[in-house]
Amino acid sequence: MSNLNSNMNDDSSQLNKIRSANQEIVEFTFDGETISAISGQTVGAAILQSGKKALRKTRFDKKPRGMFCGIGICFDCLVKINGVSNQRACLVPVQSQMNVQTQDGANL
Amino acid sequence: MIEDLVIIGAGPAGLAAAKSASPYVSRIILIDNNPRLGGQYWRHLGKEWIDRDIAHFDLETGLTKIESVKKLNNIEIWSDTQVWNAQSQNGEITLRLLRQNEEKVLICRKLIVATGAYDRSIPFPGWDIPGVMTCGGAQALLKGQGVIAGKKIIVAGSGVFLLPVASGLVKANANVVELLEANSGTIFNPRALKLALNLSKLKEALSYLAAILKAGVKPKFREAVVAAHANAEGILSQVTIAKLDRNWNIKKVRTAECDLLAIGYGFTTDPGLISALGVAMKVDIDSNVVVKVNKNHQTSVSNIYAAGELTGIGGKDLALLEGEIAGLSAVNAKVSLRLRMKYLVAKSFANTLKKIYPIRNGWMNWLEANTIICRCEEVSLAKLQYSVSELGASDSRTAKLLTRCGMGLCQGRICSRAVVDLVSSQLEQPASEKDRIATVKREVITPISLGVLAKDK
Repeated sequence: MSNLNSNMNDDSSQLNKIRSANQEIVEFTFDGETISAISGQTVGAAILQSGKKALRKTRFDKKPRGMFCGIGICFDCLVKINGVSNQRACLVPVQSQMNVQTQDGANL
Repeated sequence: MIEDLVIIGAGPAGLAAAKSASPYVSRIILIDNNPRLGGQYWRHLGKEWIDRDIAHFDLETGLTKIESVKKLNNIEIWSDTQVWNAQSQNGEITLRLLRQNEEKVLICRKLIVATGAYDRSIPFPGWDIPGVMTCGGAQALLKGQGVIAGKKIIVAGSGVFLLPVASGLVKANANVVELLEANSGTIFNPRALKLALNLSKLKEALSYLAAILKAGVKPKFREAVVAAHANAEGILSQVTIAKLDRNWNIKKVRTAECDLLAIGYGFTTDPGLISALGVAMKVDIDSNVVVKVNKNHQTSVSNIYAAGELTGIGGKDLALLEGEIAGLSAVNAKVSLRLRMKYLVAKSFANTLKKIYPIRNGWMNWLEANTIICRCEEVSLAKLQYSVSELGASDSRTAKLLTRCGMGLCQGRICSRAVVDLVSSQLEQPASEKDRIATVKREVITPISLGVLAKDK
């Protein structure tokens, strides 16, 4: 049984009880760093699971933004995937070897 | 080919509509923008996950419902499909869809829309910091992705939804350190008696509360997160929590550390799609813009029906009944008296809930001049106020056009209710029905790339 969630929470007081069994682990990169996801998870879920929270930088104030609504409504979790900007991290499922990057400002 | 019946949204209302209409029509197309059926309420993980029901109250009922719809041969399910434009003309409805990154056009004679709702957010200083998330977002990560999005979590806001969110998190072993309800405890509210008469709902609420108390979390009332603070990397590290008076003005503050703030103030309906079809809308008692329907859940456009949260926030039980009524009516089948009675009871329950969890105006005093109001376009409160005081905006629509507040990629879905409230407060006049309805009209329902549109043309 693979239990990525529990493995990733080093704090033993917080073992995620929702476990996955016999699932494929998919690897992709976020700003060059390798991140593991359970097959079927979204890019945003996998990045948050790894402990990171910032996904893009805003156009004017250059401030970090992360996932806000989590269901495709708010467009705050925009990332660049394989060179294509404005992808909602909360919706796009991870695929092996994806190149995910922080979106810097507007890419309209 | 012209379809007889299309249903948009496969949450409780859409599923119930599909099931009830199925025996009376040769083919139904059920469209949903998620990979799995069930909507937000029954959002779930695949079979390969152990304990996948841990964060749910009763996932079994939902899975049974979903399976029963999947088994019906005349229901064609189009998941992962977004409707980006909808038009109604001469009794035919044209839907433009994005499916597998390609544009498709679907024409139908009858349409049932059940696109649901999402968290209502109210702005406060720091609500744009990564680590601040809606309650629904934190719950969706848990129920749909198996992810706990923080190591030290505060759940705050107002409304019954806080209970399943906090309960789901603690059942999955998340470290929830605070649960804050901005309104007073329902136990002391005479209206709560009426709620307690609904035994199944009472049972559900008690099960959430039991899990929360068992985890050692003591819910606090009349308290709210009024500011969020970032660390040096710009990520959430601390919040300011305030004791509130009756009108939600700040009485006393303290700080608390956390790396995830799940915050929600009830729900906002998502009528973008159906309002594009020209159906009549109205403003509900909780200030939500909802679709006007008759007792058959038929809208002002006779071949279009609406069900679920779109016709007023009411939760899963009401949505199931409304879906059933809309499904039967759309195929001219009889709606039983029993079903109508059950609906009336559920609707009255929903309206009582709205009165127990009002959003009080005091939240506007939590804001600072540089507080971001429109997250997409980074418009501050000061800029919004300037458009009214100096540029002469006399309604929220004008303020929006002068500031771009609500004109970003989310098209005002997150901030427009707050913008209407803030502008009308500054103008010292109540927001008109017209102001509120104007915020949900969108020609393009979801942003679409021109590349996809230009394909094959």
